[in-house]
Amino acid sequence: MAKIRVMGPRDRLPEVLDVIQDAGVLHLAAPAADSAVTSVVPADRENRERRNIRRLLDDVEWDLGHLGPGPGGHAVVPETAAAEPVEWARTAARLRRRLERMDAQLAHLDEERSLILKYRSFFDAFRSLLEAEPRWPHTTAYHVLLRSGDQDALPRLRQALGHVLDGAFEMYDRPLESGETAVLVIVPADHAANLERLFAESRVEEIPVPAAYGGGTLANAIPEMLARLKLIPRERDALGREREGLARAHRAELERARAWLNDRRAHLDALALSGVTSHAFVIEGWLPADGRAAFEKRIHTACGREVVVSEESREEWTSEDAPVVLSNPRLFRPFEAVLRLMPLPKYGTLDPTPFVAVFFPAFFGLMVGDVGYGLILGLLALLVRTRTRPGTLLRSVAEIAGACALFAVIAGVLFGELFGDLGSRWLGLKPVLFRREEAILPFLILAISLGAVHILLGLILGVVSSRAHPRQALGRGLSAAMLIGVIVALLAVLEVLPRGLLTPTVIGLLVAFPLLILAEGITAPIELLSALGNILSYARVMALGVASVMLAVVANQMVGAMGSVAVGVTFALLFHLVNFAIALFSPTIHALRLHYVEFFGKFYSAGGVRYAPFGRWVAGAGRRAA
Amino acid sequence: MNLVWIVFGAALAVAVPAIATAWAQSRIGSAIAASMAEKPELSTTAILMIAIPETMVILGFVVALVILLRAGGPG
Repeated sequence: MAKIRVMGPRDRLPEVLDVIQDAGVLHLAAPAADSAVTSVVPADRENRERRNIRRLLDDVEWDLGHLGPGPGGHAVVPETAAAEPVEWARTAARLRRRLERMDAQLAHLDEERSLILKYRSFFDAFRSLLEAEPRWPHTTAYHVLLRSGDQDALPRLRQALGHVLDGAFEMYDRPLESGETAVLVIVPADHAANLERLFAESRVEEIPVPAAYGGGTLANAIPEMLARLKLIPRERDALGREREGLARAHRAELERARAWLNDRRAHLDALALSGVTSHAFVIEGWLPADGRAAFEKRIHTACGREVVVSEESREEWTSEDAPVVLSNPRLFRPFEAVLRLMPLPKYGTLDPTPFVAVFFPAFFGLMVGDVGYGLILGLLALLVRTRTRPGTLLRSVAEIAGACALFAVIAGVLFGELFGDLGSRWLGLKPVLFRREEAILPFLILAISLGAVHILLGLILGVVSSRAHPRQALGRGLSAAMLIGVIVALLAVLEVLPRGLLTPTVIGLLVAFPLLILAEGITAPIELLSALGNILSYARVMALGVASVMLAVVANQMVGAMGSVAVGVTFALLFHLVNFAIALFSPTIHALRLHYVEFFGKFYSAGGVRYAPFGRWVAGAGRRAA
Repeated sequence: MNLVWIVFGAALAVAVPAIATAWAQSRIGSAIAASMAEKPELSTTAILMIAIPETMVILGFVVALVILLRAGGPG
């Protein structure tokens, strides 16, 4: 990163900010406190404008959200030549009121429909009784719905009615398709008040006939309700067409308004970050060092030599102030998404993306380790990749999945696995290394060895990243050396390495131990032990790998174990599907954990500020870097 | 030693940490779900928190393997 200072005559500040916004590469920072330079204090007019923009943007965003997705998704909005905020404000407010009314109408229609359906099911259940309702003298009918799942509700209701009405009632019940129970209660008219009090106290859901459908009895209201039910979809469609028409008429204008308003808001924010003297302005910010010359040229071309661009020397700023941008080769770039889940690394420390790009798919591949599963995952990744736009998180995930699939296929070849043992049984597939279901111990050794390499790499990266702090670097270096020493000593004890190495290694460890405490403090031995624990944690690669292959083998055995081949094949396919789903989820979580906890814990310094250049707004991507 | 006891010991080495892990994950899971409802940016922490107790059962699995291997089991 290079820290840039742009200076010029004060009256040209808005114009220069426009040019910087067009360039879209400068991450603005407030100028250093200086007696000669003061911050720009927003005038009342600007404060008012900011408030208006916020209100207008709220309306515009609301309208766009309620007009439904546009035909081109998040298309780049063409920049506007002339701004018409007043006209936009009128349109947005008018549209919002209209859309709110339409939403309310829709909600009302849906509510009406569900109410009619409730009545219809009730009417269907008691058709013959309800048709006779007008002929019942001096009686009142009550319609009640009992919710599903409460078996005792009906006997309780009958008991309560008996108690309150002293047996002067008739009660009929029918189960409905929805699981609810329709209950018709007929009582003498002079007992109605008692019954209504009981319903209110016991919170029974009574459904009286609405006055909108003629009131009176349900039998009279039902024909009107059914006629209305036929009209509701037509009214919904009409509202939908009206919404589409509004979208056609106003979407483009609203999208232009949104882009302009966001740009204007960013401009006002940038103004507040600028410094001024009585005659000059100062803008400070950061940009990638290789973009400095192009930026300077652009400023000079647009504003002339009156505006000066200079670079602050490295001594004038500290790493804590500089924003961070991850910059990796194309091959590794998708793996920056793994780091996006964490706070950014501090400026000047190591970006672990290239290491993640190698180890993450490798661990995933070792855990899945199956040619068949790898190929299916590869196809899914390809499918998602073709349907996503570059630069999106989903595209990155698809590309990471592609790399993981490749490693799963390679590991599958090494272990001789294609849908478990199907490859060896049908195609005579032979393992290059070993079979995971048989050679558990070699697989465990492989996993822990990889863990040792990964943790040692983490410690070495820790030494590199703390090179500015020699004592810390020495401590991490000693930890790495002692870890190697402990591994060599263990291997010598197990006679994997010559036993003669044991004594010199132990002496070396004893010498390094006090040095480690001197360099890293009293907690250093605990951290060393935790590093050993971290290495053992990589046993999960073996554990998940063995579980995966065992599940696949069990799935294959189902074909012969179910009596019928068809049933066996169905169960086997289902089991493979479950295993594949587990193979997508579990290895991902564990590979992530091995990186976040075990690997990053050795060197990663979080706390960087994200590089967010001041630029033009673009739909779906926030601010745009040129 | 009696084979039954060896196998029982190996099973216990996996079962006890598995129960402990399940208990820990249930507590962590409910806590993290509640936290994520308010702060979705805690998803990374959620992954880590959920995966951390699994180390117990992994180490239990390794111990079980060591027991079985010493008794001349798989490998």
